[in-house]
Amino acid sequence: MTGAVLAALTTALVVLAGALWQRNRDLARLRAAEALARAVEAREMGTVRRLDAVTGELRRLARERVPAAAMALTHPHAPVPPPPSAGEIGPEAVAALNEALDAVLAALGEERERVDAAARASMRGATAKVQSLLYQIQSLLHELQHENDDLRLLELDFRNELALRRIQATAVLCEAWPGLARTDSPLAEVVRGAQSRVPGYQRIKVTNHLREQRLGVVARAAEPLAIALAELLANATAYSHPETEVPLTLQHGGGRGVFLVIDDAGIGMEEDALTRARRLLVGPEGLLLTELGNPPQAGFAVVGRLARQYGFTCHVEPSPYGGVRAMLRVPAEMLTVVEDEHDLSVLAPEPVQSRPTPTGREGHGVPVPGTGEPTPRRPVDVPEPDPDTARLPTRRRRAPRHQDAAAPADARTPARTPEEADARWSALQQGTVSGRNAVGGLPAPRAAGGRDHEGDEGT
Amino acid sequence: MSRAPRRRLVPAYLVTGGRQLTSRADLDRLSVLTLADAKLTETPEATAGIGPEHHRLCALLAPGSLSLVECAAHLGLPVSATVVVAADLIESGHLHARGPVPRAQEIDRSLVERLLVGLRTLR
Repeated sequence: MTGAVLAALTTALVVLAGALWQRNRDLARLRAAEALARAVEAREMGTVRRLDAVTGELRRLARERVPAAAMALTHPHAPVPPPPSAGEIGPEAVAALNEALDAVLAALGEERERVDAAARASMRGATAKVQSLLYQIQSLLHELQHENDDLRLLELDFRNELALRRIQATAVLCEAWPGLARTDSPLAEVVRGAQSRVPGYQRIKVTNHLREQRLGVVARAAEPLAIALAELLANATAYSHPETEVPLTLQHGGGRGVFLVIDDAGIGMEEDALTRARRLLVGPEGLLLTELGNPPQAGFAVVGRLARQYGFTCHVEPSPYGGVRAMLRVPAEMLTVVEDEHDLSVLAPEPVQSRPTPTGREGHGVPVPGTGEPTPRRPVDVPEPDPDTARLPTRRRRAPRHQDAAAPADARTPARTPEEADARWSALQQGTVSGRNAVGGLPAPRAAGGRDHEGDEGT
Repeated sequence: MSRAPRRRLVPAYLVTGGRQLTSRADLDRLSVLTLADAKLTETPEATAGIGPEHHRLCALLAPGSLSLVECAAHLGLPVSATVVVAADLIESGHLHARGPVPRAQEIDRSLVERLLVGLRTLR
């Protein structure tokens, strides 16, 4: 009996245990299924969120990043929004978005260059026509000036020259050639020619420190140099007060050619403007018209392009006069000596003859190809005999006679009236007396150079 | 191409120095310019404020007087520009200008004939 009961109990227990186990298993399955469902749900939520983020980024690309990047092409200082973070939308999406932006920018850049090239080409055509017309006007004016004594013709010539400078600068900017071929031209004339193309040219004071008056610029570089110099002079006169002078100095740079130094006492340039100017003066490749601002500031770009093309260099820095100093270096290979048939213009600035240069130093001048000995032809008004001039034909025939005239003039100089001698000696005497009085009366000399004296005493 | 004259590099209007000029009635093409004092051109302080073209004109006139149009030809400048240079120098006292030599009057032909007759009778 008990055995049967035990058996039945055992069976019941086993059945119960089996049922329990099955329930547990189902429960575990259920939990697993629930977890899976939650995980799937979570992942879906994540996907939806990412999709939203990507959509947001796409919208931001269209509304902010593309316009900002396009703006940054023309304005380097414009702020660029940051790229999307990889954490939210995943690295692939970031890469794809950036790729899209790059493609847009590349297309934009190409289009920009194409439009700019088209603009340059059309400008080139127009400037070439206008330039040749202006040259024709110039020739006519030149003829008229010799037939007619009206002063307004000179004025008209000046206006024509101003127009010509503008047109030429624009043409150079549009990659045209300078539009005029010259022969080897004396540097002094090139400088004077550049001066004549600038409004306010009377403020430019040229000082010629070259020892060789007939030092010239080789034919191919003469007109480009004049254009570049005119642009620099125009900058100097335009950005300084109309009452101030603009000194332009021609000086030897040892064996390194000739330096043309232009100073102005104007408003000067900020550091970033100087940086921009220096970048333009190197003559960068692929400079677009649209990069020059509105209205375009073409001066430095023109100088830079010509400098790169023809091999001279230009540098700008703050000037001791207060404004900007522009230095143009004409290398020795661009220099030559102009042959004697070329009559120098009477307007060409004469070399400053402050002191006789020792003959040994002549050799240190610019090594010019094709000149055996540098024998500087003296300007006509130097009253020393020049055997070269005597042999030259035509116009200079008056020069030798001038020596004869100079000799009696020298003889006449010592003759001095007693009144003159009296005036000079009494002036000298008064000067020494007043000097002694000043020294005796005042404890310390406080005249010129006082600052230096004080400094010496203080230390 | 080589036949064509060289295009000028230095224009003549530079002598005006940007001033508003009025044409001078007293200087015409045939006015004779004379250097006032040869010494003036040789002292540097007397010629400090003037340009190379003034120097050249003074040097040109040092041997003797010339008419304005001749000066213009020698300087290679138009007459109008030379007038400006000369006017500057006249103002600063370096030059004197004299009116042109008056044109010779037509000589009475009968007078000459009578003179000839007279001379012949002298023989």
